[in-house]
Amino acid sequence: MKAPFTTKPAAGSGNTPAAAAVFALLVFAPALFFASVIAGREISRFYALAWALFAGGTAFAIAYTGRVSSWRRLFFSVSALAFLVHFKLGLLSKALAPSCLADAPFCHIALAPYFLNYLRQQYQALVSGGWALWGPLSLGALWLFVTLALGRAWCSWACFYGGIDDGLSALPKKPLLKIDGWALKVRDLPAALLIFLLLVSLGYALPVYCLWLCPFKLTGSFLDGQGWLRTAQYALMLAALAALVIAPLLTRKRFFCSFLCPFAAWQAFWGRLNPFRLSAAADCSGCRSCVAACPMTAIKCAPGGKAEILAYCNLCGQCLGACPKRGLRYTVFGLDLPAAGGAFGALFSVKYFYVFSALTLGAAFSSLWAPAALRDLVKLIWG
Amino acid sequence: MPALLSEGFLLGLSTGFYCLASCLPLLAPYLLAEGSSAWKFNFGIFLQFLAGRFAAYMLFALLASLAGQAGRYALPAWALPLCMAGCGLLMVFLAAARVRGEAAPCLLKRDINPYFKRLPLALGFLTGINICPPFAAGFIRLLELADIMKGFSYFGGFFVATSLFISPVLLGTPWIGRRANEIGRLTLLLAGLWYLALGLNGLIALY
Repeated sequence: MKAPFTTKPAAGSGNTPAAAAVFALLVFAPALFFASVIAGREISRFYALAWALFAGGTAFAIAYTGRVSSWRRLFFSVSALAFLVHFKLGLLSKALAPSCLADAPFCHIALAPYFLNYLRQQYQALVSGGWALWGPLSLGALWLFVTLALGRAWCSWACFYGGIDDGLSALPKKPLLKIDGWALKVRDLPAALLIFLLLVSLGYALPVYCLWLCPFKLTGSFLDGQGWLRTAQYALMLAALAALVIAPLLTRKRFFCSFLCPFAAWQAFWGRLNPFRLSAAADCSGCRSCVAACPMTAIKCAPGGKAEILAYCNLCGQCLGACPKRGLRYTVFGLDLPAAGGAFGALFSVKYFYVFSALTLGAAFSSLWAPAALRDLVKLIWG
Repeated sequence: MPALLSEGFLLGLSTGFYCLASCLPLLAPYLLAEGSSAWKFNFGIFLQFLAGRFAAYMLFALLASLAGQAGRYALPAWALPLCMAGCGLLMVFLAAARVRGEAAPCLLKRDINPYFKRLPLALGFLTGINICPPFAAGFIRLLELADIMKGFSYFGGFFVATSLFISPVLLGTPWIGRRANEIGRLTLLLAGLWYLALGLNGLIALY
């Protein structure tokens, strides 16, 4: 009997060095262009080049080894760490002046109290054509573009918080706490949190998420002045921080992203606009290897025994390598591309179109902070 | 009397967005948790909620008019936080108990007596006696009028106008499925805890 997917490349199969180099170049060129445009305005283009080289290197490693998730995770975690170094530590040291992020007083999500300032920036963006200036329309357009290009993959390639959760979840070899028993039962909590936050923020005209939950506030400016409320807000912030930093180490799951992040639920909803999907083979044996491997608790075993990919899947690719039958693959709306021959044929698959799209966009977006973080480190080491 | 009705209506019309903002975090999760794809069923829930609010408004009109007649011109300070805490408790209870539907998270798996299926009425009532600024403005007018029938008329108009702002919430309900019910139940739990915390905070601040 013919084995399934014999006509398609296996999930972990690599390419020749030449094909991998071509793929790396395809990622490197746009990454360099965007990094130069975004970061090069304020700091040396050398840092933009370094970041584009890192993105290109990641692309080469993915194409050469055929393994998506491990190299993606490295890129993603470094990007998130760079955000932490530059933006969050910059907030503490007020060292944001020569940076693309200098216009935001605290955090781009927490701008409700600065809405008028925000509108003024949008006006400036409109009249000057400087779309890098942050504003509701610029951000809306950026979000739409990212959603159409990446969809739910935002959470596994570009989110500056998700990289921390993802990187930490990969550190332990085995989970100390198994949460499989109840994880699926509260998997809709981020969606509930999103609806609750939208309603309450509207009702009270307050950035409720930032006040009560954001794990990286690192500032008391938003907190309530009243004694026990302030204590409760600090306690919840610390709980969220523990969910982001400690829980992944204990559970080997992206705990904060899976159960607390409202934007993940938002992106899961709108991510359906994006054509890339993760599909399971029809003859899935129901061994549950993918269920255990999924860091997002986004796969469950359907009644027939087949793996069922939930809407919360962010296409990280972790399950691709976990499936013993290589029965999971990237598709476009559930369909494969026709197989192409030749030395570069394997690159003409959904997998590499998806990786190109995600990695290029992730590299371009993280150019907002990653080159600057590199500059910060260089300055810190060599003065 | 019609003049007072229209005065209350205009007050409601001018401040309705505030009512929408304060009622939506209660009503929307409840509809999401207990609603179905049948529009009529959701409309029934909405009507019960409105009936609860109406009863609360009329009770409030009665009490305010009586207080005006007795020359007492102050609301007890504990009334608002107590109502808010009561509302929160009720929402937490609703989320924790199974009112409708079969699949509930195991942590929240408890069935309740059918008697409690009238809970939208109670929820509406508790929302209705939450004293928001427009409501307080109406209260002052009622103290001044000190007439029960005029009070009913004034708050009747206020009720109709504020209900207009709340009614669009029904537009989103025909898409409610079982998955949305579960999300709604969790939202109800979160919103209930939020109101409970706010209410308790208000009570603690008093004493």
